[in-house]
Amino acid sequence: MNIIKPPGAFASAQADADVAAEAARWKEEIFDPAAAGIKDRKKFVTDTGLPVEPLYTSAHLEQIGFDYLRDLGFPGEYPFTRGDRPGMNRTDPFVISAYSGFGDAEACNKRFRKLIEIGTEQILVALDLPTQCGYDSDNDMASAEIGNVGVAIDTLADMEILFDGIPADSIKRIGTLGNSIGPIVLALYAALGEKQGIAWSRYTVNLQNDPLKEYIARGTQILPPAPAAKLATDAVAWCVEHAPNWSPMTVCVNHINAGGAGSSMGTAIALANARHYIELLLKQGYSIDQVAPLLHMFPDERHDFFVSVANLRALRRIWARMMKEQYGATKPEAMACRTTVYGHGQEALAEPLNNIPRTAFGTLAYVLGGASYVYLAGYDEAVSTPNENSARVALRTLQILANEHGFTDTIDPLGGSYFVEALTAQGERQILDGMAQIEQIGGALAVISNGFARRVMTEGAVRRQRAIDSGERPWVTVNKWPQKPDVPNTAFRGDAQAEQRQLARLAQVKSTRDQSRVKAALAEVERATAEDRNVVPSVLEAVRAYATVGEIVDIWRRRFGAFVPSTDF
Amino acid sequence: MSAIGVGQPRRRKIRVLIAKVGLDGHDVGARVVARGLLDAGMEVIYTGLRRTNEDVVRAAIEEDVDWVGVSILSGAHRALLPKLRALLDESGADDIRILAGGIIPQEDIPGLQAAGVDKIFLSGTSIAEIVDYLVKETKHA
Repeated sequence: MNIIKPPGAFASAQADADVAAEAARWKEEIFDPAAAGIKDRKKFVTDTGLPVEPLYTSAHLEQIGFDYLRDLGFPGEYPFTRGDRPGMNRTDPFVISAYSGFGDAEACNKRFRKLIEIGTEQILVALDLPTQCGYDSDNDMASAEIGNVGVAIDTLADMEILFDGIPADSIKRIGTLGNSIGPIVLALYAALGEKQGIAWSRYTVNLQNDPLKEYIARGTQILPPAPAAKLATDAVAWCVEHAPNWSPMTVCVNHINAGGAGSSMGTAIALANARHYIELLLKQGYSIDQVAPLLHMFPDERHDFFVSVANLRALRRIWARMMKEQYGATKPEAMACRTTVYGHGQEALAEPLNNIPRTAFGTLAYVLGGASYVYLAGYDEAVSTPNENSARVALRTLQILANEHGFTDTIDPLGGSYFVEALTAQGERQILDGMAQIEQIGGALAVISNGFARRVMTEGAVRRQRAIDSGERPWVTVNKWPQKPDVPNTAFRGDAQAEQRQLARLAQVKSTRDQSRVKAALAEVERATAEDRNVVPSVLEAVRAYATVGEIVDIWRRRFGAFVPSTDF
Repeated sequence: MSAIGVGQPRRRKIRVLIAKVGLDGHDVGARVVARGLLDAGMEVIYTGLRRTNEDVVRAAIEEDVDWVGVSILSGAHRALLPKLRALLDESGADDIRILAGGIIPQEDIPGLQAAGVDKIFLSGTSIAEIVDYLVKETKHA
């Protein structure tokens, strides 16, 4: 029997066979009798459908054909499993980030200043739904939604107020989601730098700008998927030429997983979306080495801690191999997958303070998995836009994760764990299988149009609901020690005057801007769109002239038509 | 008691329109509830995303539903739900009742109920609880 192994040595095949036999013996003779007659506390299966065994040993590494140099390598080197950067959190801890926005620019600017004062290093602006869906605040569709889930941005004037006293280069990155209005938000941030007199090379803009997942999960889509994807890639192409230090696209798993797909299939769908964008850019003549370094991924797993760690590691490995082997990337930056994450747990409406440990544990998994840019949900986020106190707790939790407990002292600290390596290999297999399935159906656009993605989402959401209703997946205060769900009256609400201020500002901007300049700029956006040119230069000129978000989006609505919402469930 | 078909025979199955009004794009909850009600033997129609109150009233009347279940997570409930009730009443559909689901603060609930929203189910409610409520509360002639 080979119980104690020499340190640092991975076992020989013979020793692994011994371990496998011994592990089987232990299970049969020791564990099973001890567990006999004890009802399982829960169903031991991950949200992604993988069975979880009571114990993992080196025999599992043998089973997955684990090869250290091939499968893990070293941080900052191919295949980047252990990290996209050489020093990872040890030399350069993850970027402490906040997603924030509410009301009008004036109210929101105060919150941003406060967030920066207490240590926020990156702010992504939460936009209200009218802005995200391409409606100005004075549009009928906007009524009741202005400033509700984010800040209202109609024109560059709002951006100037939003970043008043906050130079674009004073924090590590600024940006927003803007999934369905990517070229417009890119132009707004470019024009903001011009207004502040800061060169594009001196600050970094991060956008989500991933419209395809909106059709699957998030719901702010405006146009049909194909033109929406093309407009999104215009933003990337413009950055290749003018701001290669920006990250203008973050391809998201998170809403897809949260909506029901599970993190493995969610990653497969997101990677298919990424491939669609990449191929549009390659067709325009850009090289993979130019394009890939500007893309980020946004992984997500909020049910199973160790799956979350494994998912990040598997994603980096798949990305690196895909870039190198399928797209012929040669630069390491094109193969290293940079990741943005938003820490969640299974947040509950009952007793919301319990969401603080939940989101902290969920975020810890991302930190141990090596995420680069880390956000953390406010404990009241299930209810409303975080209030100042919950935003502070979220930020402090990130600072604690980065600085206390030694979480960030060594790179990929769970690398080599029998369990985590097994989950990494199994998750990778699930993701690759999902990608093959999507490829067979016809790729990213096909799984949207034929309803495959939507079915995956609904079936997953129903499966999760059943696991909760039946108690298979324990959820404290929901199915264990249940408490009545409660949306407290302390839920954050922006001040009621924000909507009036916003409408007044928009009316004032519209009446004082140079109308002929606006008209000419919008006509050029229309021409660029019709001629299938990159729209960003014309959109930038329109934004500089204080054209509204809605005026620009209307050009695209007229040209491409609006999306038709599905009534399937 | 949630025994369908026990006692006097029902005139027909319970018909429910699940609706998304406003710009809120989160419809997983709406779809899970729709699927759950369907599985419980009800007839369910889903409007899809981003409908106006007018769209919803038209669909509710055309489909002759007993209930409209509105899912709102964006905070627009205070403006949208009372307006939906008023529009249904104006259209002669005062017998169609409204359920709301999603994220709705406690302090808003009495006001919404006074404005004619029958019942509010917050996120986290089990499907069984919603089914029981509808079975118990649906009035069939």
